[in-house]
Amino acid sequence: MDFNALIDGLGGHTLDGLTRGSIYALVALGYTMVYGVLRLINFAHSEVFMVGTWTVLGVYTVLGADSESAMPMVIFATLTALVAAALASASVALAVERIAYRPLRKKNAPPLIFLITAIGCSLVLVEIFGHVLKVFFGAPFGRAPVNVPSPIQTHTLLTIGDVRITNVQVFIILGAVLMMVALDLFVNRSRLGRGVRAVAQDPDTAALMGVNQDRVIMLVFILGGAMAGVAGLLFTINFDITKFDIGFIIGIKAFTAAVLGGIGNLRGALVGGLLLGIVEVYASAVFSSNWADVTAFIVLVLVLMFRPTGLLGESLGKARA
Amino acid sequence: MGLGALALALTVTASACGTTDTGGSASEDGACEGKIGVMGALSGANSSIVLPSVDGAKLALKQWSEENTDCDIELVEFDTEGDPAKATPVATKMATDDTFLGVIGGAFSGETRATKSIYGDAGLTMISQSATATDLTQEDQSPVFHRVVGYDDVQGAAIAKYLSDVVGAKKVFVIDNSDAYGEPLAAKVSEELGDLVTASDKTQVAQTDFSPTVSKVNSSKPDAIFYGGYIAEAAPLLKQLRDAGIDVPFVGGDGLYGADFGKAAGAAGEGAIITCPCVPIEDGTFAEDFEAETGAAPGAYAAEGFDAMTIFLDAIADGARTREDIEAFVDDYDEQGLTKQLAFDENGDIAVENVVIWAYKVVDGQLVPDQEISLS
Repeated sequence: MDFNALIDGLGGHTLDGLTRGSIYALVALGYTMVYGVLRLINFAHSEVFMVGTWTVLGVYTVLGADSESAMPMVIFATLTALVAAALASASVALAVERIAYRPLRKKNAPPLIFLITAIGCSLVLVEIFGHVLKVFFGAPFGRAPVNVPSPIQTHTLLTIGDVRITNVQVFIILGAVLMMVALDLFVNRSRLGRGVRAVAQDPDTAALMGVNQDRVIMLVFILGGAMAGVAGLLFTINFDITKFDIGFIIGIKAFTAAVLGGIGNLRGALVGGLLLGIVEVYASAVFSSNWADVTAFIVLVLVLMFRPTGLLGESLGKARA
Repeated sequence: MGLGALALALTVTASACGTTDTGGSASEDGACEGKIGVMGALSGANSSIVLPSVDGAKLALKQWSEENTDCDIELVEFDTEGDPAKATPVATKMATDDTFLGVIGGAFSGETRATKSIYGDAGLTMISQSATATDLTQEDQSPVFHRVVGYDDVQGAAIAKYLSDVVGAKKVFVIDNSDAYGEPLAAKVSEELGDLVTASDKTQVAQTDFSPTVSKVNSSKPDAIFYGGYIAEAAPLLKQLRDAGIDVPFVGGDGLYGADFGKAAGAAGEGAIITCPCVPIEDGTFAEDFEAETGAAPGAYAAEGFDAMTIFLDAIADGARTREDIEAFVDDYDEQGLTKQLAFDENGDIAVENVVIWAYKVVDGQLVPDQEISLS
């Protein structure tokens, strides 16, 4: 145990934790929104994120963007990747809802059936990238990790004391927070957002009041998917890598973040994600990096012991959501 | 209970066949025929470490068969994905099939550990081209297990020597992936380096964010970094170290020795040093023949796969027709192979003085032989 390492580098570790947590939080939104409306844990959401990272790889490859690219190209490639990843992930999320969940809903299937279907969808998507696409197109698909070109090169923006702040960290934290503020405003202020909250609160009454429930559910999958796509872009900018099963760990962590903050609660996803990221990095600093998960889950258990609905409570439907 | 009974039944069958097969079908008429199995990760994230050795074995068989046309020896491939759970049924299958005279593998240590008692009960000789865990021969010996590579303790000592003598490092940061391969290898490197280790960190398999490790490296200011682990984690780790402006030499063990490392690490991988108990073959026609056969230069453990197959073929040429004959022949084997002098001690290991460890450097994404690490 080395508490000095934590205290000496507290600023840097906090920044690392916030960077890590921002991506958890963005992915957590997808779990939390779907849960808020459908009371369903969409385990295929981790693969929606994975599709986002592959889309970024595709866009960079097609545009020929890499570390040598000039500034206009970097901006163009990043924006294109942002839009493409959000669209691709949203489409996959929507496809999962239309193909897998909707037919079950029409038949009033019990919750357990949804759960196993979600896990099945997740495995199908993983195998599409790990196996099926490889059979048809060969590399880079398959099970080996793939390098994603990095048009945005990491460099130090400013140094405060010992804390080195990089452009990538700023980009990720700002990007994630901006996306979440936009989503929060959308759900709380817009007409469509009111529909989402209405269905979350009471689906039957909402339907009686003229809210199209299927449309709201589609909207929720699209929004959650788009957020996961953006998370895919931020992730590849930071780590330059993707893999067929890259979503697995991130998905579990994001789901944990959602539960920690209060599943069904948008702001809870942000709080839970950032807290989880910071706890993991602090634990890594004090012990060693392989203590990150143990410590994070102990914190989760402790929080749930005293606040079973998570830090901010389950409340997509409530006005303060 | 059901599973236990089934497992017991399988073991009994395996050992029963093992004992009866000494007079088995392959041998009775003394015909020159039989099967050699090869088991390993033929697909999956780590297959680039295994596939070239299978090609090497195929090449050995092809060349030998051209000269021994009266023989009918078949090389049968079994994909385990490197997973011990998938390797166990494969081992049972070969052990219970009398026509199998030998096994090349397991390619990885975990699957080897899980299966060597099955082969042991059946008396089926194993020659591994790349399973390097120390305990396979040093702690839990098996009468049928042999390997044509040095083990991790030898490699660990060589890595420590490379870091201190060649790199000239005074402060080494040691990182491992906390698994059964990376942890003991890193522990051996640390033990040999002694005071030269300035700090260390343990990471996890499937981790992608190494920012806490990077912070630790940054604050201890080492002049070299060692990583014990596999490609999937090493690539993002190295990228994040380089992004943080840490440009000291990065050395990894044979878990990074695969063509996929350069592809996954991209520009960050340039100049990384990867050690391997596998030997680059530049003399003779092996490289040319290999390239003509497969369309690619010999990759990871290609020559070791060739050597392992050659030992079995020599046994068959010598008239060995049963598992017992093969085992006796392999135990007494002492010939110069492609990679080194091939002779096994009572544990199934190559003598330490014959073990060769090489350092490879990543240049333009390719692994290029850099230098042999002197063990003495």
